[in-house]
Amino acid sequence: MSRIPLDPDAIRALAGILHETGLTEIEIAEKDSRIRVVRAAVAAAEAPVPPPRPARSPLPAAEPAVPLADAITTHPGVILSPMVGVAYLFPEPGAPAFVTLGQAVTAGQTLLLIEAMKTFNQIKAPKAGTVTQILVANGMPVEYGEPLMIVEN
Amino acid sequence: MFQKILIANRGEIALRIQRTCRELGIPTVAVHSTIDAEAMHVRLADESVCIGPPPARDSYLNIPAILSAASITGADAIHPGYGFLSENAKFAEMVAAHGLTFIGPSPEHIQMMGDKIAAKATMGRLGVPLVPGSDGAVTDYAAARKAADRIGYPVLIKAAAGGGGRGMKVAPSPAELEDAMRIARAEARAAFGSDAVYLEKFLDRPRHIELQILADAHGDVIHLGERDCSLQRRHQKLLEEAGSPALSAQQRDQLGFTVTAALSTLGYRNAGTVEFLYQDGQFAFIEMNTRLQVEHPVTEMVCGIDLVREQIRIAAGDRLGYRQSDVHFSGHAIESRITAEHPVSFVPSPGRVSLYHAPGGPGVRVDSALYAGCVVPSVYDSLIAKLIVHAPTRPEAIARLRRALDEFAVIGIETTIPLHQRVVDEPSFQASDITVHWLERFVSD
Repeated sequence: MSRIPLDPDAIRALAGILHETGLTEIEIAEKDSRIRVVRAAVAAAEAPVPPPRPARSPLPAAEPAVPLADAITTHPGVILSPMVGVAYLFPEPGAPAFVTLGQAVTAGQTLLLIEAMKTFNQIKAPKAGTVTQILVANGMPVEYGEPLMIVEN
Repeated sequence: MFQKILIANRGEIALRIQRTCRELGIPTVAVHSTIDAEAMHVRLADESVCIGPPPARDSYLNIPAILSAASITGADAIHPGYGFLSENAKFAEMVAAHGLTFIGPSPEHIQMMGDKIAAKATMGRLGVPLVPGSDGAVTDYAAARKAADRIGYPVLIKAAAGGGGRGMKVAPSPAELEDAMRIARAEARAAFGSDAVYLEKFLDRPRHIELQILADAHGDVIHLGERDCSLQRRHQKLLEEAGSPALSAQQRDQLGFTVTAALSTLGYRNAGTVEFLYQDGQFAFIEMNTRLQVEHPVTEMVCGIDLVREQIRIAAGDRLGYRQSDVHFSGHAIESRITAEHPVSFVPSPGRVSLYHAPGGPGVRVDSALYAGCVVPSVYDSLIAKLIVHAPTRPEAIARLRRALDEFAVIGIETTIPLHQRVVDEPSFQASDITVHWLERFVSD
């Protein structure tokens, strides 16, 4: 089998064309060699969902949200909402917040509450770490899979 | 009128509801599972809320998640579509308890018609003709034997908590009755949580004819004609027509009169479909569906009435505003249900649709949430498109259906389009010389 000469410039050019045109796949072939460049696959069954778009068009978004949003939802320390409801960062009005930025937390420590149908559900840190990002505001509605916080080791 | 409607469903029916809400100027909330995040109705809705992972149990059947989504978006009404929670009386109750309006009938009527034994008893008392049966549940073999002897073989054993064509077993003769009872009860318990069964005479060559009704909260009940849904495979409808080639206008009027009177006595509200088996000129009530049906478009095409719009108006307290004599039927409509299955083996074919081209032109309507690049998931029902045609006469509608099927392109998954293409060319179908058993024989040949 002949070696396919690796041409990084060609691949970069194809990737650029994908982004510009909104295509999901380009393949070019010549004689025995073939290059195919594919845009990141549709979210698998259990993958986190991108943030909601207020779209009212049959057309897809030009670009899947923002690269930053992808970095957050796939961050190893991201805490995703397991339910639909309203996020509360304080145990009750006037009390200190459950956690603050930069705070060290232990496994099982309550990070915030999500209220749904008048019941409050504690969202706990799965592992010990440091709260590096708080992504929701107090009283903000959240959907299933929405990034809430990032707790890094 | 409602400020905001939450659509508690997915796929083509969610898009259907979205479209009417948009035309009425009512903002919408689309709830969806993670795998449906890019669905067409989600894109077109004013707001969307992801309610869970793909399994229906965790998303479209997840009552707390759906009610929570209504709460955080401020929706004041929920349209449940068909399937999922549309005939869940508990859900309808909870929606009301949360101060929202459930766009459909009352929880009491959902419950009543959900129990197939109670439904028969009720409709029988109200003068609706029934399939000869056991008059209630049969709790043991001795009772079943007695009832079957009275009814006459073959008998059909049906789950009281079943419906939609599920949970039924035939006992062709007395010798098979005991085994059939045992299996039917075990299956009923497993599928519906109750092993209560009842018996009916098994009709060997019936047509399936159903009547669409609408009732408002002010006591007005009308019917919008019948649909013939005799083409079924494993009790799932493949193709439906409005009106039935087997009925005269007089028969339709007579049936309509009996059924609307019964539902008026019941105080039924919103849309519903009353289903019958029809054999030898006799109607026999089998069940009532207290929701919008998949095949509602054929009725819409011949009546010129938007059923989703009427459901919303009725739920908001509006009067129907028209009487039975104002309803006119024009032409003939046929719907082909297209599923993501191999057209011969019926093996499910989920996957990515790389190319999608729907037919168009006069008298052609396509209700589908497909688009090029979309993914048909494996975890939900396989219905992906409804192709509906309307024409002045049935032969013209068949020609139109054939033409439209030939234009329909769905590439990337298998679909049952080729099966429909074979059916429309069949002389028996064209002559409508069919019964509910016809399609099974056709596909197995």
